[in-house]
Amino acid sequence: MDLTPRTSTEPGAQPPVRKRRWFPILIVVGALVGGGVIVTQFLTSAIDYYCNVDEIGVRSGCDGERRMRVQGVVEQSSIKQADGGTTFVLDFNKKTLKVAYSGDPGGVFQECIPVIAHGRMVNGVFESDRIEVKHSNQYVEKNATRIEESNKEAAACSVLKG
Amino acid sequence: MARQSGTGTSATRRLGILVIVMLAALALCGLWFSAEDVVQGSTVRIMYIHVPSIWTAYIAFGLTALCSAVYLSAKNRSLAWDRVAGASGEIGVLFVAVSLVTGSMWGRLTWGTYWVWDARLTSTAFLFITYVGYLAVRQLGGTHRQRARRSSVLALLAILEIPLVHFSVTLWRSLHQEASVANPNAKVELDGLMLFSLFLGLAAFTLLFVWLVLHRQRGMMLEDAFSDRGLDVAITARRNEAGA
Repeated sequence: MDLTPRTSTEPGAQPPVRKRRWFPILIVVGALVGGGVIVTQFLTSAIDYYCNVDEIGVRSGCDGERRMRVQGVVEQSSIKQADGGTTFVLDFNKKTLKVAYSGDPGGVFQECIPVIAHGRMVNGVFESDRIEVKHSNQYVEKNATRIEESNKEAAACSVLKG
Repeated sequence: MARQSGTGTSATRRLGILVIVMLAALALCGLWFSAEDVVQGSTVRIMYIHVPSIWTAYIAFGLTALCSAVYLSAKNRSLAWDRVAGASGEIGVLFVAVSLVTGSMWGRLTWGTYWVWDARLTSTAFLFITYVGYLAVRQLGGTHRQRARRSSVLALLAILEIPLVHFSVTLWRSLHQEASVANPNAKVELDGLMLFSLFLGLAAFTLLFVWLVLHRQRGMMLEDAFSDRGLDVAITARRNEAGA
């Protein structure tokens, strides 16, 4: 509401132009566009089937050479690195899958940890171009007494396997 | 009459001191006394900021919705409810941003990537965008009551996202881990001092939120009063002009 005194009282004089608040309008539009982009990205990423190792070739969508995400636990002593690539075996519900990754997986990638590999099956090997390391909701303090305990757990790999 | 400067009172000053002490204690517990995690190492320390941040954001948006509902349902429709809702919304957005940034840092160190379009991350980003929109809608202009009415309706819709964010890890197969404390198994998955540091963080951030809201809503009250005063001056000037 503009209540400043008029500078002209002549008949037919134009009323003062009301100022629009463009910045908040731009932010609202940006929020709508941003929301749309976020939902689109989520739906696009969800196109790749999410399969456990034991579902490969069994569950619909987890077969053939289509692109998918495979979840499993890195088998003990299976990690081998050569020529800039990494191969390892994923284990889930007593089923195994050989994975070939074109790089060095980041994060806390190690034996006996659950990972999600993105890629596709080629001649019985899952060729992956992206590895995500999954962390459980367990947080265990590292201290002298626990190291021995966790080493025993790691040796068995039993806690993390599906 | 005692002169009061700024938006503080003796009570908020005491609260502020308590918040500083608790944040210092959190820094000591989180960075010094609590041990590293067996798998993550020191990366676990990010949790003492990340989890309290999103917890505070939930509280903030909950308060925004509650005050908006009270504003819309109360007979007198006091603008004080709207100001608390707005202040709480602003601070909630700040804490979601902190949660997203710290989560992204943790993700790079643990998952091996800053970002994935995972259900939890996506829904949290959507929550952030929604409340940025809410704050923008509050600035669109009009009278204080118009602002209060439109933003209250939006706040009551936006709060529906919170359960979606919180339960996203159980509703979808997610890279993000399930809750370590308030999980369906009712089993606490954190060791002693880690758990203590986390709860200290929750308490410290909650009190920090209360302190920030008290100050911000008083700041908003002053802004509204300043705006109303400008309107009064303009009306008086027009009346004088008409009477001249």
